[in-house]
Amino acid sequence: METIPSDAPLTRAPAVTVERPSLRDWIERVLPYASVVVLFIALSILSPYFLTLQNLSSVCRQTAVITIIGLGMTLVMISGGIDISVGSVMAFAGICGTMLLQAGWHLGPALAGAVVAGAAWGLVNALIITVLKVNPFIATLGTMGAARGVTLVITNGMPVVNLPASFGKLGDGNILRVPVPLVILVLLALLTGFILKYTRMGRYSYVIGSNAEAARYAGVPVRRYLIAIYVFCGALTGLAGMIEASRLVTGQPTAGTGYELSVIAAVVIGGASLSGGEGTVAGTIAGAFLMGLISNGSNLLGVSPFWQQVLIGTIIVLAVAVDELRKRRRTS
Amino acid sequence: MNPTPATSQAGPLLVEMRDIDKSYGGVPVLKAAHLGVAQGEIHGLIGENGAGKSTLVKILDGEVQRDAGEVTWLGERPSLQSRADAARLGITMIHQELNLAPHLTVAENISLGYEPRLRGRLAGTIDRRREVAEARASLDRFGFDLDPRTPVRRLTPAKRQLVEIARAVVRATRLVIMDEPTSSLSAREVEELSRVVRQLQAGGAAVIFVSHRMEELAQICDRVTVLRDGETVHEGPMPRRDFAELIHAMVGRELRDFYPPRSCRPGEVVLRVEGLTRQPHFEDATFQVRRGEIVGLAGLIGAGRTEVVETIFGGATADHGRILIDGEPVAIGSPRDAIRHGLALLTEDRKRTGLALGLPVAHNITLANLGATMRRGCLDLGKEETMARDLMQRLRIRARSTRQRVGRLSGGNQQKVVLAKWLSRQASIFMFDEPTRGIDVGAKTEIYREMNALAESGAAILMVSSELPEILGMTDRILVMRAGRIVKELVTARTTQEEIIRYATLGEKENA
Repeated sequence: METIPSDAPLTRAPAVTVERPSLRDWIERVLPYASVVVLFIALSILSPYFLTLQNLSSVCRQTAVITIIGLGMTLVMISGGIDISVGSVMAFAGICGTMLLQAGWHLGPALAGAVVAGAAWGLVNALIITVLKVNPFIATLGTMGAARGVTLVITNGMPVVNLPASFGKLGDGNILRVPVPLVILVLLALLTGFILKYTRMGRYSYVIGSNAEAARYAGVPVRRYLIAIYVFCGALTGLAGMIEASRLVTGQPTAGTGYELSVIAAVVIGGASLSGGEGTVAGTIAGAFLMGLISNGSNLLGVSPFWQQVLIGTIIVLAVAVDELRKRRRTS
Repeated sequence: MNPTPATSQAGPLLVEMRDIDKSYGGVPVLKAAHLGVAQGEIHGLIGENGAGKSTLVKILDGEVQRDAGEVTWLGERPSLQSRADAARLGITMIHQELNLAPHLTVAENISLGYEPRLRGRLAGTIDRRREVAEARASLDRFGFDLDPRTPVRRLTPAKRQLVEIARAVVRATRLVIMDEPTSSLSAREVEELSRVVRQLQAGGAAVIFVSHRMEELAQICDRVTVLRDGETVHEGPMPRRDFAELIHAMVGRELRDFYPPRSCRPGEVVLRVEGLTRQPHFEDATFQVRRGEIVGLAGLIGAGRTEVVETIFGGATADHGRILIDGEPVAIGSPRDAIRHGLALLTEDRKRTGLALGLPVAHNITLANLGATMRRGCLDLGKEETMARDLMQRLRIRARSTRQRVGRLSGGNQQKVVLAKWLSRQASIFMFDEPTRGIDVGAKTEIYREMNALAESGAAILMVSSELPEILGMTDRILVMRAGRIVKELVTARTTQEEIIRYATLGEKENA
């Protein structure tokens, strides 16, 4: 398509282009939610074990960890960045938290410790990206390795055991018959949604992701907010790390391996764009549960976990391809 | 308008473009344009910004397709659908933005696409030795002092241009088009370029030299064509000293009476710039703007106007110089600082630096002043909606709602959104960089109206513009820039388009 050269004179131009949300746009927006519903119904039909309280509760607990990290990742991706260190940071924070428990700390302060540990890595990521000007993918690729390495060093490769049994209540317990992780997820989802809609941090995330240069020229302190965004993601990752550790009442230095892929997939399936400026909490939750259901369904129906990986990989590619197509259509 | 018939100092015609029309999205860029270049001739193509020069030569180069008209090459009508077609005829173009691969060497760039290959055992692979030898031969032919093994990224813009030229002539070229080749060259480099161009001519090639710098054209060209508003208004031999006729041809148009009137009562000096320098873009910029005043910054491409306002706004750091606001020197290290001091900048490229296209109108409008929409630490979306709607109404921004994505709006409405953003900030010093570029007539008037209102309410306005009628219609004073320096300050009421262009192309000393 020809672009108008800069020497085109300034005369009559066509009237306002009117945007009519097409059927296709609507379908794309609803797709992640519809898929979850369809899959839910399909699995209910295909497997007798699916609709049991035990199974559904298990799905929730499993998916909650990915989703909580996904909330943080949503903010990061809206701002145009990415954080592939979350799997490693999750393990690190889990180890920190469980080590504190082992040393006799109460659950509350230990949780706080894990959150701070995660946030610290978030800060490291942000500084590498904003000060050293390394692109987010490479920066977090580095911290992914470093965080995992540090985790293995401080544990000597051994799991952290001998934890108080009450710790298990975090991941396996219920509040008023609702799994604790689900409650935490809902609260954090509400918080994140609020941030995105009603705070400077949320608004600036969208702007920075949509056009960082324009944000800068409008006086937005881009660096400050990028730091806040990555720290937020790190903090949530830390919390998720503790929930994961609690499910086995063990701090595993190898926890979270490969989780980053699932988290990013969840956010992209949910509608976020890899180039930034778009994304929602609801979408991320739908994306995460879609993958959670696929995983659960595969287990119930006896599909090999290896094929599951192929399936998830394929879905990620499709989700990003659809995103690219949508973007191209929108700018034409 | 009929072009002045070409005087026949020209030899046989190499190429003739006749009745060329080209429009982009309904906006005519070329209207029955004409260009005739004789074999072995050095032909200048001049015109103001926006006259259509680039478009015309891009049609010749196959990059752009004409809507109507014919191109005759040595008496025939060849197909010019692509750059490959043009290359086959022997036409090469050296763009303003050079097309070299910076990480490759001079020799590799020269032979790019046509690398000499080895035979025998390693058949098909690149013959590096021959590549370097051929490059050296080509460079020596012109007396270019370059080592063919140097990576291009280590070369200055002037040297890179020489590489482009060497690349162009390595393949039997009959016509070389140079688009604004001297905008980043020093005087000495311009002279070397002239020598090279004459050598090209001696080698049998014709050259089309697109520029707006008169003295350079006078040094090099045999004949010249003047474009204005997409039409060819003059063709003839290149004058050596008296450019009055050319300048008149470049600008000669009546001032349309469509700039809203304004009563100007300038107050005290609010912005003062002293000795501001940022190499290599501009140096020693000194001027001031008063409350209630609109000062125009005129000049042609490469003069450094955008760089000046960008530097004042903190988008780039100056090498030295001072900025004073209300008499106090201020340090502006970023746009954030500038905004805090009451400055606003509507940038030249609104899509790249002025708007978040994927976001709603309302979000763009409040972007520079989010604090005003906050209540108890959170964004009050209702308040934001009201602010946005008020501004949309005041500026007559036509969009389906405040929630519509800005990217879907027309250019005029997009620009109004940018303006709304700064209005919501209530700045006191507004800098506009090409405020009406790519905008329809209706939206232009509305923006002018708003600029006047701002000035009347006491804001100080600095406006960069390439549209002379706009500068003459809207400003109180005009600063003319040329090659990085402010060469003249004019009082708008007492100057003409021709005087402005004269200073923009010739600078100070040529004006006796």
